[in-house]
Amino acid sequence: MPEQRKDDKPKEQKEKTGHQKTEAGKRLSKIMINDYMRLHQKATEGAFVVWIAIVVPAEIFSGFENVVYAVPESHAAMSAGKGVGPLQCEKAEGNGFSPDLCSYARIDLGTAFDGGKDSPTFGLPKPHLLVSDNNNCTLLVKWFDVYHREWGTPHFILDVPFCYEQQKERDLDYILLQYRDLIATIEKMSGQKFDASRFREAVQNTGESLAHWKRFLKAAKHRPSGITVFDSFVQMAPFLTSRGAKELVDHYRLLADETEENVARGIFPVPNEKYRLLWDNIAPWHQLNKMSSRLASLDANIIAASYTYCMGSLEGEFDLYAYDGGDPLTYLARTQNFSVCPHGLELRYQSMQRAIAEVGIDGVVFASNRSCKVYSLMQMDMLERVNRELNIPAVMIDVDHADVRKYTEEGVFARIEALLELIDAKNNHALS
Amino acid sequence: MTDADHKIKSLKDKGGRIIGCFPLYPPLELFHSMGLTPVVLWGLRDFVKTSATADRHLQSYACSVARHLVEFVLSDQGRFLDGLFMYNACDTLRNLPEILNCGLGDNGRALPIFKTHIPMTPPKQTSAAGYLNARILALIMELEETYGVVFSPARFRHSVALYREARSLCKELEILVAKGSLSYGRFSQINHAGYFSTVEDHIKLLKKVLNEDSLSHTKTSPSAVPVIISGILPPPPGLIVALEDAGFRVAANDIASERRSYDYAPDTADNPCSYYADFYFNHFPCPTLLYSADKRIAMIKKLAADSGARGFVFIGEKFCEDEYFEIPHLERILKETGVAILPLEISIEDDANNKAYVTRLEAFHEMLRG
Repeated sequence: MPEQRKDDKPKEQKEKTGHQKTEAGKRLSKIMINDYMRLHQKATEGAFVVWIAIVVPAEIFSGFENVVYAVPESHAAMSAGKGVGPLQCEKAEGNGFSPDLCSYARIDLGTAFDGGKDSPTFGLPKPHLLVSDNNNCTLLVKWFDVYHREWGTPHFILDVPFCYEQQKERDLDYILLQYRDLIATIEKMSGQKFDASRFREAVQNTGESLAHWKRFLKAAKHRPSGITVFDSFVQMAPFLTSRGAKELVDHYRLLADETEENVARGIFPVPNEKYRLLWDNIAPWHQLNKMSSRLASLDANIIAASYTYCMGSLEGEFDLYAYDGGDPLTYLARTQNFSVCPHGLELRYQSMQRAIAEVGIDGVVFASNRSCKVYSLMQMDMLERVNRELNIPAVMIDVDHADVRKYTEEGVFARIEALLELIDAKNNHALS
Repeated sequence: MTDADHKIKSLKDKGGRIIGCFPLYPPLELFHSMGLTPVVLWGLRDFVKTSATADRHLQSYACSVARHLVEFVLSDQGRFLDGLFMYNACDTLRNLPEILNCGLGDNGRALPIFKTHIPMTPPKQTSAAGYLNARILALIMELEETYGVVFSPARFRHSVALYREARSLCKELEILVAKGSLSYGRFSQINHAGYFSTVEDHIKLLKKVLNEDSLSHTKTSPSAVPVIISGILPPPPGLIVALEDAGFRVAANDIASERRSYDYAPDTADNPCSYYADFYFNHFPCPTLLYSADKRIAMIKKLAADSGARGFVFIGEKFCEDEYFEIPHLERILKETGVAILPLEISIEDDANNKAYVTRLEAFHEMLRG
């Protein structure tokens, strides 16, 4: 892709930089509103409602005619983004839940036990079945157990072995066994028959969506980058609420097309991009606009994140793991560990190394996240390795993905500015 | 030489290879049967005096169990270990093997680390016995390859019998605590000695204590208030003293390193796969054994009813999410049955801060005495 000369920049871009609402961004808002409205409506009309952990393969539910699913983590992230995170956290804390627990969980518990009050989506319809998994974290199982006990809702636990190395066949078989039990459980509870062809179509849609997703992320390779990580953070949302749907394919296709078109037209979120950074952890949902603008004012752009490039890849990889049209259940089992949390340090390092090389990273921001120990409790050694083995400057900042009360902007930016200075020093040293 | 150094030296002098097992419920019998000496790496407060090395690898919001474990393994004391074993006990522990590898590598050291996955599916939902079998057999093969040892069913049966005896003796000792003949502090010390000694030595110690004449009569005041104590580890010694001085009697415990560990021992030991399927799936409930959640509330209620406890003292291990998620529900259920709850939170720095808890313990005691 040709690089745009600075003086050719369109007028609107000179006025505002950082994360901006694109056409895809506007469409995203509509999709999210529709998804939640449809969820509530179908639940009211008698659909079988499942609450799932973020990485439970939702395509399975598409195999049923009238099963809908809600993702409490996604709802919690949205609540944090809309500024009601602390309010819902306080409600949960008032009910005896420790402020040290994950802020997603506290937001969700605060919302659920207050009947959805103050939620941007009026909460979530009450579930008939809870499906958690422990590959992202075991605390999710404990969190869903709270509802299981309070409401008597059955709780299905997907038990997924952690990957210190790439997934073993015995683990894949074990996951498949549990998927089959999940399908049988839903059939029994809902009285609906699982339709394999509907399911296959959903998996095909997911495969296609993820191919477009990877194409969208690829825009980060351009200098200046065609995207900020803040774009990719928010654009993850429909993957969680519309997984397996045709609408998701269309949306991600348009997102990638629009992004490529913007790059071709010379529209960049941070046109004077001087520092190309990588983010390691979940998004700081309460800070997206603020952080993005402040970084842009420093000519810095976070262009990639382990949180977003893991989507569509296998553990330890960076490239797309395409769906080849084979057994859809096996594809889902093989990609069950796609998110970063179930990966060991070697695998995380391997994919980060690829990302750094592929998109051209100058520095890494390790966001130490009090609400996500599984993501965070490897970062000190990761940081050390990135510094020592890749000679890439890196810093660690303290964040909480959804509880703004545990975040201090000035402290974070002092570290980020120190990182930019380290990058300058490295570049100057290279020149001299 | 400190007491901790003595314990380590005495183990090392016995000549066997020592496997440092991550908490909480490792397959101790299996290691023992293969001529290895398992130690369980919790309750290490006496062994590590700082967490300086661990702090280079772990953020401050890791629990004290993890930070002490990392500190110990990476310290000079950790040099006596010949291998490490871990399973998916919690989110923090599953991240540690490679962190330890990094730390060991920095010191020019390396240790074999055996990792396994204990199924967490509720047995009624998914039959995971086949998967567990495969993991147990894989572990046996790894141990055989690494140490040149051979698994023997006869030795396994013998090891199972020894651990069964030790667990049974721990239960006998616990009864003495409930009756008020033995202080909970001393009980905890004796129980925990087993995690850093051979099972044979632990049995000797338990028998010796059980035969002490002084245990034949009750020492605590008849007016002592019976309570259940619950958590991952017993509270620091100073806090136990404060608890007993405040007028409480530990009528039962729900501590992971105590009752949750020794309460259940399978009958059969025909082969390690069926033994561990029984061991894990019928284990005393623990928040970390995800499939046991449904049984836990009923078990706590039974414990309260059987022991006549009027209070429940929760020793919260700071940052242990598995434990903390259950507390609000547990509190409500216990209150409904007339058992009051006192939640205390212990963090890594709290060894010397027990006085802060004394007032709360005294107030709780006053409330329960009515």
